[in-house]
Amino acid sequence: MKPLRIRLARLDTGLSAVAALALALYLAFLIVPVLLSLKTSFTNQNILFPGSRFVGLANYRQMLHDTALRASVEFTLELAVSVTIVANVVGLCFALLLNRTSLSYRVLRTLAFLPQVISGIIAGFVWSWMLSPDGLVNHLLAAIGVASQPVNWLGTPQLAQLSAGVVVSWVLSGFTAVVYLAALQNIPRELYDASSIDGASRRQQFRTITLPMVAPATTISVVISLITVLKLYDIITALTGGGPAFATQSVAMYIISVGFSNDAYGYASAIAMVLLALTAILALSVTTVLRRREVDL
Amino acid sequence: MITQHTAARRAVPRTPASSRPAAALVPRAVRRPARLALAVLVILAFVSPIYLTVVNAFKTNSAIAGSPGSLPVHPTLGNLSTALTQPGHVLEIGLRNSLIVVVCSVALLILLGSAFSFWISRKRTRARAAVMAAFAVGLMIPPQITVLPVIKILAAIGLDHTYPGLILSNLGGGYLSFAVFVYVGFMRSIPAEVVEAARIDGASGLRIWWTIIMPLVRPATATVGIFLSLWIWNDFLNPLLIIGPITGQTVTVGLYDAVSNQVQPDYGLQFGFMFLAALIPVAGYLLAQKQFRAGLTAGSAR
Repeated sequence: MKPLRIRLARLDTGLSAVAALALALYLAFLIVPVLLSLKTSFTNQNILFPGSRFVGLANYRQMLHDTALRASVEFTLELAVSVTIVANVVGLCFALLLNRTSLSYRVLRTLAFLPQVISGIIAGFVWSWMLSPDGLVNHLLAAIGVASQPVNWLGTPQLAQLSAGVVVSWVLSGFTAVVYLAALQNIPRELYDASSIDGASRRQQFRTITLPMVAPATTISVVISLITVLKLYDIITALTGGGPAFATQSVAMYIISVGFSNDAYGYASAIAMVLLALTAILALSVTTVLRRREVDL
Repeated sequence: MITQHTAARRAVPRTPASSRPAAALVPRAVRRPARLALAVLVILAFVSPIYLTVVNAFKTNSAIAGSPGSLPVHPTLGNLSTALTQPGHVLEIGLRNSLIVVVCSVALLILLGSAFSFWISRKRTRARAAVMAAFAVGLMIPPQITVLPVIKILAAIGLDHTYPGLILSNLGGGYLSFAVFVYVGFMRSIPAEVVEAARIDGASGLRIWWTIIMPLVRPATATVGIFLSLWIWNDFLNPLLIIGPITGQTVTVGLYDAVSNQVQPDYGLQFGFMFLAALIPVAGYLLAQKQFRAGLTAGSAR
């Protein structure tokens, strides 16, 4: 046996080399940067002032008194929770509606993913045009007699936050719809046939067959939605630029503004670490809860 | 899972036909077109922002302001040609740069990701679990956390503010994680005998990967290729910061600069720019429909 194994090991050097290269790139551009960020978060590094020194937890203490950071964390968390719920409900409804095999439904399915195909920058710009005071949304509302005055959707903090939620949900729903559709198509038809012979109603079938069968897809879709919103940057940058009065500034945008506009690398890295911890805690706890639900159902 | 369903189904009480919901009494001939009509209305409303981008790209500014939602009555190519003749040729240079970045990054990610996945899927379970956990982290890490140190690392090897630098950083980040996850999922279903038979014939690992494994995991390659192309084409933050303003940007960043720098919004030009910037990814997505669907169904079955 032994000589054979040695021969095989030699035959594998090429493959091992490619694998090692992939691993090295992953280490160099993901793991090492995270560790460097962690290290930088304990320093007062600032590109305007060469030379940095260790400042312990000073950056982390500074965060406690940073009202702009608190506002952006609150906004980001609210956005993450509301968008995840809306996008997953909408996505599941779309999937249920479109889960038919004929050509017309296939065309509609193709269209439903389009918000994911265009860039977040385009999505943000188109919606900012639609939501402007003399934009299409106000025209529509006036036409059906809902609003007599044009609404400044992106002009006041609360409406801008609401608008951001709508636009991000719009983009994400294209993704969730496709994930749920794929899950629905994998449910064996016999389950429905058998249960209708047993006299189950549509609603009972939905509760006892459809929901349990899409539970694994729900876990994936919910966790990816959460992560996507927590690191959100491009859509809001194009939609509101973080305004008005920083009401729609996500944590991700705040990190970049602290790190690049204010050049405070140390502080930006500390906030980045908090965002990472937040993402990890939320993603892991939601995964655990939903996985348990998968078994229960 | 199956036994649970059977149990759940048995728990469902037998309902007499007369007490079924009213919907079941509506004849099929009515329900079917009604459902399709509803689906068409909902999805058309859902994609209306994209419809607006397309139609307004072919309208003059006065037509956009006057009837924003209508089809272009007197279609004009003025917006497209203005967008293509901007000072500094932002759009053409952006499209070229984006194409280079996407093609190089995705091709290399497919090669690296699949070879690495083949290598790791034949390792012992414990080693494999550890490496996969490390790669799972990559799916979660926001780019805002890594982009500052990545620029420093690129500067250290003299590749900051360059396209090779951007492509190199694409290869190592969360994109590689995604590729590895998709490939490992697919490779799990390849029987070990396929590889063993080739081994006995004396084929090297690289040769088995290229001639046997790669043809077998074509659906995975399609999934990885489609998703990574879209993500990398639409990526905003990494090119914005890694390339910077001096060298000439990708089309996504170029579009952002062009629109946000307008003092007086020229919507016709904006829509022309957006239309041309979205044309390649949308056309690619539509052309790759078959692979897109196959990849999703196969991927979710795992």
